Amino acid sequence: MTLVTVFDYGAGNLHSLVKALVAPTRAVRVETDPAAAVRTDVLVLPGVGAFAPAAERLTSGREIMRDAILAGLPTLGICLGMQLLFDGSDEGTGDGLGVIPGRVTRLHATRLPQIGWNALEAVRDPVIEASGLDIAYYANSFACRPRDAAAVVAWSTHEGDRFPAAVRHGACVGVQFHPEKSSTPGVRFIEAFLEAAAAINSPTGIR
Amino acid sequence: MSLTRRLIVCLDVDGGRVVKGTRFVGLRDMGDPVELATRYEAEGADEIVFLDISATHEGRGTTLELARRTAERLFIPLTIGGGIDSVEAMSAALRAGADKVGVNSAAVRRPQLITEGAARFGSQCVVASIDAKREGDGWRVYVAGGRTRTELDAVEWARECARLGAGEILLTSVDCDGARDGYDLALTSAVAHAVNVPVIASGGAGNAAHVRAALVEGRADAALVAGILHDGTTTVRALKDAMRAAGIPVREVAA
Repeated sequence: MTLVTVFDYGAGNLHSLVKALVAPTRAVRVETDPAAAVRTDVLVLPGVGAFAPAAERLTSGREIMRDAILAGLPTLGICLGMQLLFDGSDEGTGDGLGVIPGRVTRLHATRLPQIGWNALEAVRDPVIEASGLDIAYYANSFACRPRDAAAVVAWSTHEGDRFPAAVRHGACVGVQFHPEKSSTPGVRFIEAFLEAAAAINSPTGIR
Repeated sequence: MSLTRRLIVCLDVDGGRVVKGTRFVGLRDMGDPVELATRYEAEGADEIVFLDISATHEGRGTTLELARRTAERLFIPLTIGGGIDSVEAMSAALRAGADKVGVNSAAVRRPQLITEGAARFGSQCVVASIDAKREGDGWRVYVAGGRTRTELDAVEWARECARLGAGEILLTSVDCDGARDGYDLALTSAVAHAVNVPVIASGGAGNAAHVRAALVEGRADAALVAGILHDGTTTVRALKDAMRAAGIPVREVAA
C-alpha cells in the first residue's frame, strides 16, 4: 500500500485531486502540518490558493520538507505547489522550499490570469510522455523561472511568454497546469507519476 | 501555440435536475446533471458550469450535494454560480468541489465581495457573471435572473469587476438568451475590448456558426452553450469540429 499525502494549505477544492489519487493500492490522507506531511511515500503539494498564505503554512516545517524532497521523497507540486518548490515569488511574501533555484514572476501577457487549455511543448519527461498529455488546463498569473533551464522538462507559451509547464529534480516533479482538471490524459499523468514513485525504493526510510 | 478557445457547457440546475429556460421563463426538465456533465466531458467539453436557479435554501443545499457527486467523476473545471452572496457561500461551493464560483446579483449589491473572494481564493476562482440587456446605444446590467434592472452600464461594470479582482467575465445577453438566434456580438466585443481578463460569451447559441461568431467577431475567449446540447440539436463534438474548421484553435479529444 502506497501512502500519498496531500499537504493542505487550507485554500479550497482538494476534492477532484484526492479523487484522482485514490486507488485500491493507495491510501490518501490530507495533512496540514508540513513536518508530519513528509512521513509518507509520496507527497503532493496541491494547486489552490495564493503564495504568501501557503508559504506561511510551510514555515514550521520548511527545512524538514525541503530536506525530505532533496533526499528523494517522490513529490508532485501542482500550480501553486510547483511554485512553492522555488525560492520565492513576486506574488507575495515568504519563502518557498528552495528545492529548485529560481523565482516565480508574473507572466508577461496582457490577458491575465491565463485561464484555459494550453499545449505542452518540447516535452522530455518519461511520465508526461507515458500519459499522452499534450494539452492541459491552466489557471495562473505567475510562472516559475528556474535559474538553470535544465530543470525544465516541458514548456508552454501564453501570448509571447514561454514558461516552464513542468520541472523535475530527481523524483520531484512540478507542473504549472492542473492535471486533475485536464481530463483523461491529466488523470493518466497522475497515475503514471504515482506508478513511477511506487517503483522508487526510499533509501532513507523516511516513513 | 497559445491558449485554445473554450467551449463551456452550462447546466441550469434546480432541485438536483437540469432545466433550461427560454428567455429566462418556461423551464423544462432535461436530466441528471452528473450524468450530463460527464457525458459532455467525454465528448470534449472544456468546462462545465452549474447555474443554480433554485429559489430556496433547501434547493441550494441540493446543488452543493450535486457538486460533490459531480466533482468525484468530473476531471475538467467546474464552476458553480447562482445565489452566491458571501465569502462563506463561495467557500462552501469550492469545498463541495467547484473550481470556480460565479457571482452576480450579490456583487452588484456589494462589489467588495469580488475583492474578498479573490484575496481569499485567488482571482482564477472568481467569475463575475453579468446579465446585460440592450438599452439605447449600450447595455444595462440586470440582476435577479435577468428580471431586475439596475443603473449600471454593462461595459463599465465588467471593467469594474476585473479591477476588483474577478478572473473571468461570464457575459449573458438577456435579450438573446434562449432565443437561439446567436450571441449579442456587439455586447461581447465591447466587453472583450474593455477588459484584460477572459470573457465567456453566453446567451443565444443556436448553431455552430453562432459559436464561431462569438469567438471571432465577438472576440470572446470562450463560448457557453446549453439548450442546443441538452435537447440534442447538436453535440459538443460537432461544435468543436466546426470551430476547428473555422481556424479557431481548440483542444483535440481522442475519439
